Amino acid sequence: MPENDIADYPVVLDGVTRHFGKVVAASDVSFAVGEGTILGLIGPSGSGKTTIIRMLTGTLRPTAGQLTVLGEDPRHFRGATRERIGYVPQHFALYHDLTAYENVSFVAALFGMFWRRRRRRVREVLELLELWDAKGRLAGQLSGGMQRRLVLATALVHEPDVMFIDEPTAGVDPILRAKIWEALRALRDAGRTLLVTTQYVDEAEHCDAVALLSHGKLLALDRPDDLRRAVYGGEIVEVRTARSVDEKVIQGIEGVATVRRRGPRTLLVVVKDAGEATPRIVDALTRDGTSAISIDPYVPSFEEVFQAVVERDDASREAA
Amino acid sequence: MRLTKSAVRIGAVIRKEMRELWRRPGALLSLALGPLVVMALFGIGFTGQRGPVDLIVVIPKDLELPRDAAMYQKVAGESAAHVVAVTDDANDARARLSRGEIRMILLAPADLRERIERGEQAQLIAETNELDPIQQGINAVVAETLTREVNAEIIKTAAQQGLARLASSGASPPPVAPDVVARPLRPVVRNNATADPTLLTFFTPAVLALVLQHLGITLTALSMVRERVTGAMDIFRVAPINAVELLVGKYVAYGILGLGIAFALVLGTTNGLHLPFRGSVAAYAVAVILLTFASLGLGLLISLVSDSERQAVQLSMLVLLASMFFSGFVLPVREFREPVRALAYALPVTYGIEIFQQEMLRGHLRETWMQGALAAIAATLFFLSTLRLRVVMRG
Repeated sequence: MPENDIADYPVVLDGVTRHFGKVVAASDVSFAVGEGTILGLIGPSGSGKTTIIRMLTGTLRPTAGQLTVLGEDPRHFRGATRERIGYVPQHFALYHDLTAYENVSFVAALFGMFWRRRRRRVREVLELLELWDAKGRLAGQLSGGMQRRLVLATALVHEPDVMFIDEPTAGVDPILRAKIWEALRALRDAGRTLLVTTQYVDEAEHCDAVALLSHGKLLALDRPDDLRRAVYGGEIVEVRTARSVDEKVIQGIEGVATVRRRGPRTLLVVVKDAGEATPRIVDALTRDGTSAISIDPYVPSFEEVFQAVVERDDASREAA
Repeated sequence: MRLTKSAVRIGAVIRKEMRELWRRPGALLSLALGPLVVMALFGIGFTGQRGPVDLIVVIPKDLELPRDAAMYQKVAGESAAHVVAVTDDANDARARLSRGEIRMILLAPADLRERIERGEQAQLIAETNELDPIQQGINAVVAETLTREVNAEIIKTAAQQGLARLASSGASPPPVAPDVVARPLRPVVRNNATADPTLLTFFTPAVLALVLQHLGITLTALSMVRERVTGAMDIFRVAPINAVELLVGKYVAYGILGLGIAFALVLGTTNGLHLPFRGSVAAYAVAVILLTFASLGLGLLISLVSDSERQAVQLSMLVLLASMFFSGFVLPVREFREPVRALAYALPVTYGIEIFQQEMLRGHLRETWMQGALAAIAATLFFLSTLRLRVVMRG
């Protein structure tokens, strides 16, 4: 939880817990989202992402803890504050019998936009999301990807300061996923604050910060690169050798944290500083009678990072 | 500014609902034309005539009574009963009754003369084999009428015999006809209502009221459930729209449609079925508006308490069923016991039927409190819907 000027953060959660009977959907979750950033809430299905979004939009009351959005308790948003919030629900929640244009215009009017501004903004967002050519088509006749973009358009149309976007890329093909993230980054660059949930762990790359969730618990919160470093305890190098070597050969070297076998002649080595450790590794291999074919920086996927975080959490719980 | 934005939001809901309705022309057509077709079929097909009761008169062999079926038919009259035969075989008559060939047997007592001479009443027994309680009631009326007529015939015969004796004894008979002795009073029924009561004229305004209520409920019962099921309610929860704005938008949209259909139905019935319209158009229009809005409120309330579309449909059908039984559509409300009568008066259609019938056929509403009661129901339903929607929107 950032300590400085916390009240200025558009989104703040402090010890937020939500129970559904005996099920704990969110457990003591605390984080803050700074202005003009994308925070990715990442975790598998059932990890509590949507519960947190619903509490932040004021549609669900927390069992315990405090949360504020734009300085207000979401359960008591003023009308003017609601006009500054955008929300993209997880499922397509628009009207199949209305056209793409009518759907966006309807939501714009719900947010109190007058006709002239509404007309201009509807066109702008439909063009931004490449839906202008489909403006006259009924929403129910649009492809799944176009429907997802249409929902995004309805959340953008009133130019909100803070956006809560629940699973924008669920069930979407990779090309469209890239387009959606491109649009989200453009919004971030325009100064908007975005809280995006996704079950695709690799989408953490697109976020300024990621919060990893599992079973309602916040396991980690950091910038993507710092999270990798924090999880593995340093930088990772991939060492490929001429012949198979024992991990112990490298394990004892100064600056090496852990060594893990990845293949018969491939080792993943976590080091404090790759620049300092690499010559030592080369020397150690030479002393063992072999040589390094290559030593390259290794960037673990976020799936690996997430898995490591979950394993670490499981281990600490077992230890406790 | 705040009010203007509120108007923008309400306008958005109205346009959205109207567009959705317009985009489903099949549903709209069946909603608009369906009731007209039902009413036309009702008008053309329903006669309200059950026909005379087929009966056999059983007169024991030794009894000195006429056995001419035509004579008994004349006594019974043509419209109430049809005397199929006069016989002395009670078993055969009962077999025919059992087979459903006739509806009634009239059994003359074998000791008729002896009982009368002893100064006792004799029994004319009417046997039936009926499951339909209404038909059984008709049978009882026919039996009573026939008994009364037979009694009158007996008195008339006695009077004729008495007058003949007086004449033969040389005395001058009183100037009273035997028929007047037997039937001193003859009923003459005059209806002071402005319209002659026919089944068509009586039931058509009731059908109109029932159709309007059902339309209103059907249009809106699924409305909010659909918003919840599709997830659109999540958008409403986050957007600055409140429960009253959302409800007003839906009321206005569906109200316009309901009133349009009501207008078409009234035109159809007055021109197509030549139904009289004797009342004030303004008073009638107020009643239509109140019934429509009360029905929309009932539909919205159903929609807001239902968890699924299936439950909403079931509850709508339940209201329709209750309306058929309790609203006075088939059975008069006054015939129900007190707690059930209260249920009848909780249904908007109960007032709708009474007001429509009186305005259209009588020319004015005698129970003017009914307009107020209907307005109170409409307002209460709006209030309850708003409260419930607030809870739903809070999540």
